[in-house]
Amino acid sequence: MIQYNTGKSAKRRASSTRSPTPSLFEILSSSNYSPMSDNAVSEEASMDGHPPNLASIPASDSTIWADASPLLQAACTGLRDGELIHGDNFNLFAAMSALEIMDPKMDSGIVRTYYSIDEAIENGAAPIPISPDSTVDVQSTIDIMDHLLACEAAWHKGHSLAQTVFSCIYLLRLDRTAPHALLHSYCRVTRATCKAVVSLVSDARTHEEEDLFTMMYGLPLNGDGDDKCLSMLNAVEETISRQLRACKAASSKRRLPEDLEPLQSNPNLEEGFCKALLCRLRFRKHFFHILACMKRPQGRGLESARKHIASCTTELESILKSADFLRSCFGESCEGDIDDKTTASGREPIGFDAMLNSRLSAPMPPRAIKILSWKKAVEYFVKLLHDLDVICSHSLDEHLESLLRFVVQFQKSQPDLVARSHLQLLLVQDGKLYGRDPFFAVITKAAALPEATKNHDIQKNESILQLGMLVMNLLKILCTNAAWQRRKLGKLLQDWRVIYVQLELAFRNAFGEVSSSSNDENICMKIFQHILLWVEEQTYWIAFRFLILGFELELYSTSEYCMVYWYLYAVLIKLAEKTHLKMTVSYDTAKRKGKKKKDSPKDLARESRIPPAVLFLQCYMCLAEGLTMMLAALRNEISVFQSPGPFNTEQEKFAQHFELLQRACIPDHVSYPSYKESTTHARFSTLAMYNYFKDAQRIVKEVKSSFSNDPDRLSELRKLEQVAEHNSVAQNLICRLGALDPSLKVSFEFSHHPFFPTVVVKRS
Amino acid sequence: MEAMPEEKAEFEEAEIKYVSYGGEHHLPLIMNLVDQELSEPYSIFTYRYFVYLWPQLSFLAFHKGKCVGTVVCKMGEHRNTFRGYIAMLVVIKPYRGRGIATELVTRSIRMMMESGCEEVTLEAEVTNKGALALYGRLGFIRAKRLFHYYLNGVDAFRLKLLFPPPPRQELSPSLDT
Repeated sequence: MIQYNTGKSAKRRASSTRSPTPSLFEILSSSNYSPMSDNAVSEEASMDGHPPNLASIPASDSTIWADASPLLQAACTGLRDGELIHGDNFNLFAAMSALEIMDPKMDSGIVRTYYSIDEAIENGAAPIPISPDSTVDVQSTIDIMDHLLACEAAWHKGHSLAQTVFSCIYLLRLDRTAPHALLHSYCRVTRATCKAVVSLVSDARTHEEEDLFTMMYGLPLNGDGDDKCLSMLNAVEETISRQLRACKAASSKRRLPEDLEPLQSNPNLEEGFCKALLCRLRFRKHFFHILACMKRPQGRGLESARKHIASCTTELESILKSADFLRSCFGESCEGDIDDKTTASGREPIGFDAMLNSRLSAPMPPRAIKILSWKKAVEYFVKLLHDLDVICSHSLDEHLESLLRFVVQFQKSQPDLVARSHLQLLLVQDGKLYGRDPFFAVITKAAALPEATKNHDIQKNESILQLGMLVMNLLKILCTNAAWQRRKLGKLLQDWRVIYVQLELAFRNAFGEVSSSSNDENICMKIFQHILLWVEEQTYWIAFRFLILGFELELYSTSEYCMVYWYLYAVLIKLAEKTHLKMTVSYDTAKRKGKKKKDSPKDLARESRIPPAVLFLQCYMCLAEGLTMMLAALRNEISVFQSPGPFNTEQEKFAQHFELLQRACIPDHVSYPSYKESTTHARFSTLAMYNYFKDAQRIVKEVKSSFSNDPDRLSELRKLEQVAEHNSVAQNLICRLGALDPSLKVSFEFSHHPFFPTVVVKRS
Repeated sequence: MEAMPEEKAEFEEAEIKYVSYGGEHHLPLIMNLVDQELSEPYSIFTYRYFVYLWPQLSFLAFHKGKCVGTVVCKMGEHRNTFRGYIAMLVVIKPYRGRGIATELVTRSIRMMMESGCEEVTLEAEVTNKGALALYGRLGFIRAKRLFHYYLNGVDAFRLKLLFPPPPRQELSPSLDT
């Protein structure tokens, strides 16, 4: 019998058995080493005094059990401090994976409460029925439902399934709950829902950092008969509905229509419990339907999904309202803050043990996780339903440009993984937009080419095909969490730059410098020209998103703002230029196609006017330039917002922050020396000569009317206006007093806008 | 929440002695410090990996014979860059805020630079204002944000310090253009 020494002596740390070649340590485990290290745990581990089941790891054909204690003892005596046994695959690096058995911080197999699920059940941890008293049974069932909801929310938020939803013993052994129809059907639907959600997120395949989500650990997620879970739920719902009608009839002294068995024994509480249960059951039903509807291809189920979302939200409201009744039921005062509890009633639920599955989570170290409070769980689902509703209400017929804006806007509310995965799967299915529009058609429309272009043979061109893939990937990436998104966008820059070069090469190879007279060649040329322009515009848009996400993620320190706004300005100039060019070219194309018969004065005026979309970008440019110059002047005049370190200079930080942009030459001819040149002469006196913030204010006023039908952009303009106004005043103040008043403190706060700060000037 | 107010140790900065990792006798000191202050569980093998392979990159700070702080690092080739990595940095509470951590890290970084590293990197919790300020002052930028990096769900920043390119060696005056 092998027994590990449970002492903490530094010399006697057991090592993990990673080495494939037989070694001393290999003898200590069988080849079927399972995390259920029943044999290896000494008798002190079992808390209730029963010896562990010794027969759980049998010897097999290729392994035997041998007592290695004398060998270990000899090795310990023979080794001196600091010596390590080396093996072919066991060295210092490999040794880092070693665990100390019985260290609660490291040993996932350590027994805390029960040895196994079966032992827990044998000891009454999850009784069926929950209580012989039917009132307590119903009350406890509701507590279980509430705690499960809290677990589900905790899982969605990033904890493992094993330690959340599947900490429920009833769920782990679902079949034994069959005699308890209410609990059984609820658990079954929950399990089926979890399975559907895991499948959804796995399909999206962009949850790299959130990979804990889809780890199933061999948990019993696939149940026979789970596809019938809704009909089971409906049956239970029907029974309770009838019961509710009956007790309402009884209270109004009307004759009982049927001879129904009450839910529980206290007639005064019957109505309250029925209502509390019904809204919980109905929530599950509608939520399950939402998932099924939204999964339907090409967005066919979105309208139905919206109906279920509305019902689901109503049921959540009822669930919240039921809390008062549930808490007051027995006149118990609950200990501690009710808001922290994971149930509406405030009572601890029966039948949960998060540590039972900790072995399944190995080799991750065991960690107690905090399940969301019930209140926060409900809030989470309210938000989730809202986010899903936004997705379902989105029209599927938009221009790519407005779709991109929609996704960016959607992300502002910081939707969680489940909502984001739904959006992504709606947008990209079967290699098409919405599973319906080939990406070449999407691109030609975005590039302002005529409708018929989408059928052109040029779509078979290798570079054009690759471009389609890039657009598809861009859409997927825009649906991911901001941190991961920014890293991927940075990598994309190179791909988009390369595709541009490839397309340009293909263009020149096909047409040289001479315009051809052939009609088809003319069309090809037009397609290339439009697409090239559009690719450039998109590339700068990606660069713009990459830079501003840095603010949301708090990647920039104040001493780096000057170079960031300077670079942002450089990118915005190009973005505005390309956007304007694209619009001009598309206008010309439309003209040449004969759509414009002759230039009316109105047309001429429109042509010379700057399009609103470009003006919008110019507003950004003014703010970026204003901030750059202000920061540069502050640095040059009073030496603030710079951070000289002992090991490197601003030049290294510039190289690091803009490495991906520089590598892709976005934009060209932008470098640290040119940044220095632009900012080195900034002074308060130069700042006083030109107020970029006033320019921004002027542009906002001019362009507001063009976006009167676009509430998102109007809201953005309002924020820009506030920033411009505040900063204009601040600039004047700084110019007048900056050099004279040493007590002046300048700070930058993102109080009005997420990536353009408001300058705050105070006296310290 | 601690029942007693934190007591700050009284000392002059000059009283702190900084020592490079000198052998197995330093290992329990480092282990005790780190086990006490950091929440991640490390086995003795983790410590040995660092201090055995890169003893010159680990430093200890002593005050009157008591070990009050330590830094543990490594360096190596990573995707075509020779890069240093700061694995652990601890100073016991009564001695914080007096520049000991900065001094420990600075010594290690200097050693990395002298050994030919092109950059230094580490991860820190986004909520660890103290660490972010410390490394920010030394020239680290926040290169990336890592979503839910830690098991408790907290995000991390990947901090990176890029050394300037070493000055080009002049071969002989006559070869200067």
